[in-house]
Amino acid sequence: MSEQPVMVFQDVTKVYPLPAGDVTALDGVSFQVERGEFISVMGPSGSGKSTLLNLMGCLDVPTTGDIFISGTRIGDMSDIELTNLRRDRIGFIFQYFNLFPLLNTLENVTFPLMLKSGKKADAEKGRQVLRSVQLEESLYSHTPTELSGGQQQRVAVARALINDPDILLCDEPTGNLDSKTGAGIMELMTELNRKGTTIIMVTHDHGIAEYSKRTIRIADGRIVS
Amino acid sequence: MSGGIFYEIAKRNVRIHLLRSSLAMLGIIIGVVAIASMGILGNSLVLTVSDSLKTVGDSVIVTPHVGGNTRGFGGGGGGATSLTLSEQDFLQIKRVSAPNVAIPVLQSSDRMQLGVGSDEIVATIYGLNPDDVPELLKLKEGGYSRGNSGCLVGSKFADDHNVKVGSRILIGTDGNKGTLRVTGIIEERGMAFDVSTDSAVVATKDWFDAAYNRNDFDKVVVKVKKLEDLPIVKSAIEKQMNKRDTVVDVMDTRKTMDTIFQAFGQITTFVSAIGGISMLVAGVSILNIMMMSVTERIKEIGIMRSIGAQRKEVMAMFLYEAAILGIIGSIIGGVMSLLGGYAISTLMLQNTKYLFVPSSMIHIVYGMTFGITICLICGIYPAWRAANLNPIDALRHE
Repeated sequence: MSEQPVMVFQDVTKVYPLPAGDVTALDGVSFQVERGEFISVMGPSGSGKSTLLNLMGCLDVPTTGDIFISGTRIGDMSDIELTNLRRDRIGFIFQYFNLFPLLNTLENVTFPLMLKSGKKADAEKGRQVLRSVQLEESLYSHTPTELSGGQQQRVAVARALINDPDILLCDEPTGNLDSKTGAGIMELMTELNRKGTTIIMVTHDHGIAEYSKRTIRIADGRIVS
Repeated sequence: MSGGIFYEIAKRNVRIHLLRSSLAMLGIIIGVVAIASMGILGNSLVLTVSDSLKTVGDSVIVTPHVGGNTRGFGGGGGGATSLTLSEQDFLQIKRVSAPNVAIPVLQSSDRMQLGVGSDEIVATIYGLNPDDVPELLKLKEGGYSRGNSGCLVGSKFADDHNVKVGSRILIGTDGNKGTLRVTGIIEERGMAFDVSTDSAVVATKDWFDAAYNRNDFDKVVVKVKKLEDLPIVKSAIEKQMNKRDTVVDVMDTRKTMDTIFQAFGQITTFVSAIGGISMLVAGVSILNIMMMSVTERIKEIGIMRSIGAQRKEVMAMFLYEAAILGIIGSIIGGVMSLLGGYAISTLMLQNTKYLFVPSSMIHIVYGMTFGITICLICGIYPAWRAANLNPIDALRHE
């Protein structure tokens, strides 16, 4: 028996009701992501990429259609259930790193772990994940403002990985980095994917998209290829 | 619960915005000091008055009815006039009050000299049966008078006029009513409903009758043995004396004291409420600062929510922040309230002996509790707003 897909979109439509009239951001989108895939999502501005990302990240629910994350349908979930799903199954990596300025590197990484366990952070697991993203140990007590962009993004990747998510969702992960540092981050992503992590990455950059194994192209709210 | 990390973030946020947090706490400090100091002052005032009145809390005071329907002047049928009580009235009061002690009191004001040729002063002079005096008055020096030429003086009278046991006092103009020798000095009694002796002279009833040609009484004091009998004695006297007309007024001193304390309690509540207004202003400042904190951290809230923080956890984080401001501000305010209470009691009552009594200290607890509660209440809306932000909108926020 084959392993179930980590993510399934079935005829998903998302409509935003606005005073000037309804806007259909996604229109009948269907696809599925198998475990261990590395997918990039590309498309011009206004094509529906952000809406797709929000739905994949369980930050929003579809107007019609179904989304399954590791076999669980998200459409009828309460806010608490969706939040727990995001915490346990999905790792987020943002363009602007979005680390917590009041926490140091280790605390930033172990934050989702504390949300999940409800206990004091397992610092050793935090160190282990930080080592896996190749961040120097001397930086673990530094605050985000004391780190370079590349170092911050490595911390963000470590934070996304700490709860062993099913999917890593990346929103322009190299968009705020110089090309050399960006390449370093993408090599890290490739390495993570090689070890079995499922990655979905939204990007404008064709060069970055080439690191992925599959590309979903989207235009006017529909998947075009 | 992952409360630890949210508490840590709240604590660090207070620390990182130290000036802003300090200003918010200053409001709370002022509020706590205002409430607690006013409460301490009010309580000290009540205790000071209570101290003055406590010796007379077990009495029923019977005085001739003034105004309204009386038996008129002249004391027809041996009854009371509108100004004094007759011997017969006293005997009736004594009978219905038994086994409690009924003490007839004569009272006047007169000129007196503390030696031939010395300056004349005017003071109150009481006439009491020598046997009744120990029931009513305690001495701090000397002994009770036995003969008609002896008298007692109040402690303030003795201090003001340098009167000692053995001193002689000439009563009336140029001593025309006689000379009394001081046999004892009465303990300070403060303000009293029965006899206010601190600045007075207490002579024997026989001397008083002779000197002022009196055979009646100004009031009768009934000292009740059991406090719970006060209303019963009061009612019995009223029933006996005011059968047909209102002849006497009967005052239950305990009830009067209760009324006075109630009035003081209301004054304390009122002044504390004025202090409470400053606390409300401080609360508005906390609300403002918390709203500012939420607005500044919208994106951070979005990140927290997106990576798995529940609404209640975000809410708790902001409530922790409000609570930290409230607790620190209230503790500092509580300590400063002691200084404030000391200063205000010294200035207004010239007395700080009631500052550390539990009934004063409780006002510091009230002030601190109110401070923390106001902070939490004012933190609820910003915290609720933060918790209910849409994560997508919050993440887009710049």
